[in-house]
Amino acid sequence: MFKQTKKVEVIMEENSRRSFFKKAAAAVGVVAAAGYTTTLISKSTASTGDVRAKYAADVAAQEKAMMGNQLIQMTDDEKKQRLEALLNCHYQEIA
Amino acid sequence: MSKEIIEELNEAKDVQQGRREFLKNVCVSSVAGLVATSTPAEAVVDASNPDADVTVAEFFQGHFILMSNEEKQQAIARLEKRYSAKYGKKTTVSDVEAPDGVLFGYALDIGKCIGCRRCVHACVKENNQSRHDPEVQWIQVMKMPKGNISFSADQLDKGYPEKSKFGDYGVQVGGNAYKTAGFSTEDAQNYYQDDLVPEKDFFYMPVQCQQCEKPPCVKACPVRATFRDHAGVVLIDYNWCIGCRMCQLACPYQARHFNWGEPNLPAEEMNPKTHYFGNRPRMRGVMEKCTFCVQRTREGRDPACMEACPVGARKFGNLLDPDSDVRRVLATKRVFRFKEEAGTYPKFFYYIG
Repeated sequence: MFKQTKKVEVIMEENSRRSFFKKAAAAVGVVAAAGYTTTLISKSTASTGDVRAKYAADVAAQEKAMMGNQLIQMTDDEKKQRLEALLNCHYQEIA
Repeated sequence: MSKEIIEELNEAKDVQQGRREFLKNVCVSSVAGLVATSTPAEAVVDASNPDADVTVAEFFQGHFILMSNEEKQQAIARLEKRYSAKYGKKTTVSDVEAPDGVLFGYALDIGKCIGCRRCVHACVKENNQSRHDPEVQWIQVMKMPKGNISFSADQLDKGYPEKSKFGDYGVQVGGNAYKTAGFSTEDAQNYYQDDLVPEKDFFYMPVQCQQCEKPPCVKACPVRATFRDHAGVVLIDYNWCIGCRMCQLACPYQARHFNWGEPNLPAEEMNPKTHYFGNRPRMRGVMEKCTFCVQRTREGRDPACMEACPVGARKFGNLLDPDSDVRRVLATKRVFRFKEEAGTYPKFFYYIG
């Protein structure tokens, strides 16, 4: 008899309001933690210092790409060839 | 189990299940309600929420090119509403298509450019670029010493055009062919701060998107957010861009700029006449670059940089038209190839007139 009552209590406990609130609180906790983590991550990527450093790195990369290049004068034939290539490519695409 | 206990248990279960069902229904209906209210654009694109940078509806919209006309109009209406609210002025977002029978080209006279950077500032102003922290500039002006021209006159009679099994393209070998038969960017300075320009014995060379006919950035884009229109201009659908920066890596001219942070565009400086693929305000996490001022050129106007140039160093026109300025430059001036090895066929030409 005592054993059976205990069983009923356990089932009742499982289905109880307290158990529901416990689960709900846990779920809210998980969601809040996830949200907080996301905020932290996005905040850290968006911090002004970081952003400036990233822009600066892009500028440096651009500068590097532009340095040490040569501008070579094209012959008349090269110019014609370049123009033909451009026009051919364009007409091919249009077709 | 005794009868009493079973009855008690059933009763308790009924009560619990009834309550549980009720709570479940409440939860489901609230979630459904939330989804239903957030899906229509109007729920998010609201004048009371002008700071929203990308609305839910924008987030879920497809590639602009693949949209139906109705979807395009809806997307544009959303943007116009949001920009107008955010910047406090009536903003238009055009979707005028590229004209037919046109292949845009650009030519820049290095001999004339005085390095005043008026083109840079006109571009920033026209194209709604970030104004501070940092000011994003689509045009970089390089200052190069004239002394580095190494075209040797004694080699002029040497060298010959090489024949190829693919045809005689007149490509020179020997003589000046392996030297800088022009000039190099070896000692160039990108960020010169001169009080007075042009400085004696210096060339100035503005670099911007070269609008390649075979653009490597387009090939590199994994989602086809960047593409080449039929007038030859490489454009970006900012809403479709995922910000992976592959295009930036692929560009041999480093002409693409990534918005690491939210662009700082003061409302009073915002240009309200925009184009979907052009100068509409961008958001954080997307790529941007020169579009030959698509909002102007698709309506028959000249790019802002060209209009701003005080010495007429810039020429813009239709490469399909033999009488256009660009074609005349190609036919009659000393034109230079720049980063030819990339094989991208740029439609931006540097010349000395």
